[in-house]
Amino acid sequence: MGVKKTDIVLLDDKGIRCDGRKINEPRRIMIKAGVLKNANGSAYIEFGENKILAGVFGPRDVHPKHLANTDRGILRCRYHMQPFSVGERKNPAPSRREIEISKVIKEALEPAVMLENFPRTVVDVFIEILQADGGSRCAALDAAAVALADAGIPMRDMVSACAAGKVADTIVLDINNEEDQEGQADMPVAYMPNLGKVTLIQLDGVLTPDEYEKCVNTALEGCKLVYEVQKKALQEKFFGEES
Amino acid sequence: MDDIKRKYVIPGDVITTGPYRAEENVHLYGDKIIATTVGISEIFDSGVRVIPLTGMYVPRIDDFIIGIVKSHTSLSWELNINSCYAGILPAQDVFGRDFNPKVDDLTSRLKTGDLIAARVANSDRSRDPLITIADRDLGKIEEGELLKISPSKVPRLIGKRGSMIQTIESATKAIITIGQNGFVVVSAEEPEGLLKAIEAIKMVEEQAHVPNLTERIQQMLGSNSE
Amino acid sequence: MAAPIIDDLKKKKILALLKEGQRIDGRALDEPRQLTIDTGVIPKAEGSARVRLGDTEVVCGVKVQPDKPFPDLGDRGIFICTAEILPLADPSAEPGPPGEEVIELARVVDRGIRESGMVDLKQLVLEKDKSVIGIFIDNSVTDYDGNLFDACSYASVASVLSCKIPKYQYNEGTVTKVDGEFTEPPISTIPVSVTMGKIGNTIVVDPNADEWNCMDGRITITTNAAGNICAVQKGGSDGFTPEQLIQCSKISIATGAKIRDMLKKAGRS
Repeated sequence: MGVKKTDIVLLDDKGIRCDGRKINEPRRIMIKAGVLKNANGSAYIEFGENKILAGVFGPRDVHPKHLANTDRGILRCRYHMQPFSVGERKNPAPSRREIEISKVIKEALEPAVMLENFPRTVVDVFIEILQADGGSRCAALDAAAVALADAGIPMRDMVSACAAGKVADTIVLDINNEEDQEGQADMPVAYMPNLGKVTLIQLDGVLTPDEYEKCVNTALEGCKLVYEVQKKALQEKFFGEES
Repeated sequence: MDDIKRKYVIPGDVITTGPYRAEENVHLYGDKIIATTVGISEIFDSGVRVIPLTGMYVPRIDDFIIGIVKSHTSLSWELNINSCYAGILPAQDVFGRDFNPKVDDLTSRLKTGDLIAARVANSDRSRDPLITIADRDLGKIEEGELLKISPSKVPRLIGKRGSMIQTIESATKAIITIGQNGFVVVSAEEPEGLLKAIEAIKMVEEQAHVPNLTERIQQMLGSNSE
Repeated sequence: MAAPIIDDLKKKKILALLKEGQRIDGRALDEPRQLTIDTGVIPKAEGSARVRLGDTEVVCGVKVQPDKPFPDLGDRGIFICTAEILPLADPSAEPGPPGEEVIELARVVDRGIRESGMVDLKQLVLEKDKSVIGIFIDNSVTDYDGNLFDACSYASVASVLSCKIPKYQYNEGTVTKVDGEFTEPPISTIPVSVTMGKIGNTIVVDPNADEWNCMDGRITITTNAAGNICAVQKGGSDGFTPEQLIQCSKISIATGAKIRDMLKKAGRS
């Protein structure tokens, strides 16, 4: 698992976190739309040290046929980590954690994706984690939403995700790997920014009711910041210099 | 003449509020009309729609398309029409009313890998779109190079009243057949003309949103001509 | 991956052009596509590279970890190469355990590097028969346009050339990593694989996806820096004449030399 760093200071008395950020400061986020040749839509994101590639195919025929829905299209999602993406090499076979995250991401995207007009088809979302840092499921969702828009899949709204958490008794925005391991709570959240609906929320850790409310609001602020980066990625690809 | 307001939009963008009719690629949420794809929104006095800048081909009745034969049963051919659904070309469309599956062999007319110029005969979402080649200008395409462009760029490739495609054809002496579904077939006698035409088509696809595209294409085509 | 349906016209065009000694993308018969190699793209891994060979793209990561040696090979480290075609690389790529094609790909890439002796595994022993250093190379194909054999091989070689081996200490059954201390990997040669396709009776170097679908046979020949051949794999359903085998080996040596320079340069940066 690596050496346990008992001497990192998660939050010093000046309000600076272990990686130099302030309490409400997210890590660096960069998103590029349309990075693959074969996929119908794609996006690449760097969110802190997370490096994630998302590719979308569809709407397309469903195989095996018995999975098809005669009224509407279905969404399939796979979150998968490369063996070299984490400290200790990971077995390429899907772990239970990856399977759960795949399901949770699919359910975060489903409210946004409009598949009523594509019966008997599937939209496949493939998310590959090339390098993992804390908050990879949120970063994965952010890339997936851009890839879906890049593919022209009709969507009610974008989906923007960011995590908040509790570290050294303080609610902070966007936890990194050390804060995830040594901190007290981790809450990833996904949000449809124009419709104002939360489509993913999980909590790992213990929060008082006040902390819970503060954490949700902090995460939502993070989601709005991410939304601006997603918008920029699509504007850069499709609209050139205009916006 | 209606004043059409245009704006670049991404999914979720609120285009306008008010008593407009929601047309293609938008949805109604309360009194807000919201874009559902990346594209250009248009508000005209009766409705609101978005012209998509990406996405697959959505079959519409009477569209002229180019299809690739994928497979066949004893009763029909299945076509790749660059859409999420395969196109179905019934054997009767080619053999006529007297078609007899026990006698008539589909592969004698069309086999896997063949290209055809066709029309969408019927398209309702509950079944795969029906395709027809029963018309003088339709049928198997014997020669030419197949290109694939995003269906959203087809109007740009055709141009206003065909201006863009005519510019390319006359400068390269190529014959270009454009399917609404984004499949394009180019044929030319001179290999240089063929290459130039293909380059021009790719340029239109990549730079569809760039202003002065027609001039740039003309420049590119004119630069190597005799 | 299921074989995609290549439209008949394109296949006819490829064959007609080859009769004139020309290829569908304008390359010469023995000309590989443009190759770009970027190393260090996954900083957390001990080594990494992203390779673009034409429109084929592969991301490769090297993980270095202490491990138990194989039972009969207690005097050398572990070296394992894998490959996976990610489902986002191609519409027909499916998630799930690798099929026979991908397993062959991984084993061919692995053999080409291992048999060349590129990494001196005897220098990766911490305690004979008990503890050794393992080098795990994982190739992930992110975009498919033919010839994964060469793309994965170049990515693996570049990743290994640029990787850093952490310092480990073995003390009575426990291995500890010494933070912040690294060594260069023990490299003795740079293997270069060159894959050729046979379409009719024409040999083409580095087939793209369209050519790959027209091939009757293929052959991958790996050479080392001394110009010797260290691995060969023939695939596909047609046969090669003995003369073609010799011709292919000569092509591999010549083409390989140029690519070796690129790999060297990428490994140093």
